[in-house]
Amino acid sequence: MKSDSNEFQAALIHELKNNLGLLSMTLDRIPVSGEAACDSAVDAARLQCQTVVERLQQALMIYKANQGRFSATVDAYSPHELLAEVAKRAEALSHGRIRVELGIDAGVPVIWFFDRDLVEMALINAIHNSLVYARSSIRIEAIAQDNWLTLSVRDDSEGYPEHILASVAEGTPYRARGTGLGLQFARLIAQAHDNRERIGDLHLGNDGGAVFALRLP
Amino acid sequence: MSAILPAEGDNRINFGALRALVVDDYPSMRNALRLTLSNFGITKVQLAATASEAIFHIRNKSYDFILCDFNLGDGRDGQQLLEELRHSRLIPLETVFMMVTSESFYEKVVATAELAPDDYMIKPFSAEALSSRLLVVLQRKRTFAEAYRHYQAQNIDAAIASCDKILKEQPRYAVDALRFKGELLIALGRFDEAEQLYQQVISMRAVPWARLGLARSLHLQNKEDAAEEELRDVLEHAPEMVAAYDLLAEVCVAKKDSQAAQEALEQGVAVSSRTVRRQQKLGEVAMNNGDLDTARSAFTEAIEKGRHSIFVTPADYGNLCRVQLEQGDLRAVASTLRQHKRTLEETREGQLVTAVTQSNAYTREGKSAEAVKSLDAAASLRASGAQGDPQLMLDLANACMANGRMDEADAVVAEVARNAHDSEALLEKARKIYAAAGRENVGKDVLASATSDVRKLNNEGVVLAHKGDFSGAMQKLLAACEAAPFNPRIGMNAVWVILKYIDQAGMDEKMIDTARHQLAEAERRAPGHPRLAGLRMHLAEVEKRFGIARASA
Repeated sequence: MKSDSNEFQAALIHELKNNLGLLSMTLDRIPVSGEAACDSAVDAARLQCQTVVERLQQALMIYKANQGRFSATVDAYSPHELLAEVAKRAEALSHGRIRVELGIDAGVPVIWFFDRDLVEMALINAIHNSLVYARSSIRIEAIAQDNWLTLSVRDDSEGYPEHILASVAEGTPYRARGTGLGLQFARLIAQAHDNRERIGDLHLGNDGGAVFALRLP
Repeated sequence: MSAILPAEGDNRINFGALRALVVDDYPSMRNALRLTLSNFGITKVQLAATASEAIFHIRNKSYDFILCDFNLGDGRDGQQLLEELRHSRLIPLETVFMMVTSESFYEKVVATAELAPDDYMIKPFSAEALSSRLLVVLQRKRTFAEAYRHYQAQNIDAAIASCDKILKEQPRYAVDALRFKGELLIALGRFDEAEQLYQQVISMRAVPWARLGLARSLHLQNKEDAAEEELRDVLEHAPEMVAAYDLLAEVCVAKKDSQAAQEALEQGVAVSSRTVRRQQKLGEVAMNNGDLDTARSAFTEAIEKGRHSIFVTPADYGNLCRVQLEQGDLRAVASTLRQHKRTLEETREGQLVTAVTQSNAYTREGKSAEAVKSLDAAASLRASGAQGDPQLMLDLANACMANGRMDEADAVVAEVARNAHDSEALLEKARKIYAAAGRENVGKDVLASATSDVRKLNNEGVVLAHKGDFSGAMQKLLAACEAAPFNPRIGMNAVWVILKYIDQAGMDEKMIDTARHQLAEAERRAPGHPRLAGLRMHLAEVEKRFGIARASA
């Protein structure tokens, strides 16, 4: 049974999600004015709204994980459809400022088993980071090899700083800030996917920019 | 032309032609969603604030796309609305139903629910995410259009063939086709094939709906231990999969372990208390276990959460009052009847609940004149055709005996017994009433003669049918139907022999009408019975063969 204060908290979070949803939809409706000063402010507001959405999602994930209720709900989805959706979202967030490319390897199967909501959350977070740091373009890719599906986001930025690579590689829990914080969540999401003894993971690296790769068994 | 089903070879989706319904209790959210939809070309948008408003619009007009918030304020939630729409066949399978939710547990509901939306959006979401998801669902609906058409025409074999075609030709939709085909196999009673199908999916990946489907097909083949093992394992890894508790409870009931059934339902209610049918089931099981406190709170919740729900019937008020009476809490009985007076007065079944309950309450209070008056009211309702659920009818028998009206009591019990000649649980309850009144021997006779008449007619009919004498079989079973008009088993047997008779002797307009009527009655009494789909198909096939236009469902 829930206590009153828990219900109060749940109601508040519910309202918060409604408000954020409204804010995001309202921002999406602002037409392009053609005046750089105006449009760039709207673009910035969109990205900031996205940051707030992600922080809320992450806060709720921690809450669930602490209660031992964080798990992936896996079903059959199309990686092609997922990446098309994510690329569309990336284009909307970049508003033409950054070029968005989509590259799906011919060997990627038509369906794969994963938790669509969690994987999408991790990818959007990575795209959002790349949109902030990329010089001119980001590339969203999928490749399937040896029964692993790898979904990656590449950009042409300076690449990840050394301390972030180290912190994600070591799995330092919840100590990272900013970009690193989101990456820790991506790692949790990857690891929540398992398939007959094989467990998903997150690979970060620098290769002409930052490379974020989610590997799903 | 429908927006969903355009001309052959055209695979674009015309958003402009889609008729959409947005259901949300927040005016600002409704408007934001409408503007968002219009941004990607959906301009024909109707808005509704509550489930009742939504149902009103859906009854008056058909929609291609329903976008519904899970949380609809104090009334029914979005999932209840969806269940009612699908259950009452108010929306065809072609209609896209998308849930909007901020409840993070909702994906666990969807993962196993029998009545799942076509997709769901977790708040907050962007306009692009919504349009991409909608596009994907519309393409899937288009792929399954033929399978849906066959299914809705009750042509299940053809629907299965459509699924097989998709399986072979469109690997993108292979898993969706398997999921639909599994449900169709179960509807046809081909449980062993369903079991194999779910095993096949699980060998790809142990997705929750396939594990639940496997457990269901095991349960339907009476392999209860295997079903229980599967369900307990599902729940150990994912305790939020509420549908698994419901099925586990059914398995436990089949194993005659009603304590375990109650525990399963209580766990399900702890995860999600908002399902009317789960509360009703918990109330029934707890009542049988003698756990009156749990039964009372479950029946109360069912009525509370089910306000305006089609799943709440007068029987629910009768159930709550019965517990309160057994607890000796007469004030609570009076308050239940008072509080729901208007609802109960609306139907004769409701009036019967009130009259029977009042009579038993007055008897408890020692007010025999009032008890008789209520009993008279009940008798005249019954004379005018009012029918209660079997449990209420036994309460009525009880009231008759308490007031010395033994013949009336015996007639009521006989009627219950004829209509439930194969339900050991109900017959046992009837025996208890006679025992409490010190009339065991009379009870034995009443039950024996009531059930033996029906059983005899039924058995004779079935034997004749197996010998190929469908005409003789039909006469026997129609006589049985007359004696037991509400007995679904008898009704289904009658439908079966009538169809066999027509297969053999040619069309008989009057008989096929009787078959239609009996089948509809059996569907009402025993919804979801595994034999129904097969009979429905046979009937459709006979109608088609003889070129009869099917009455619209």
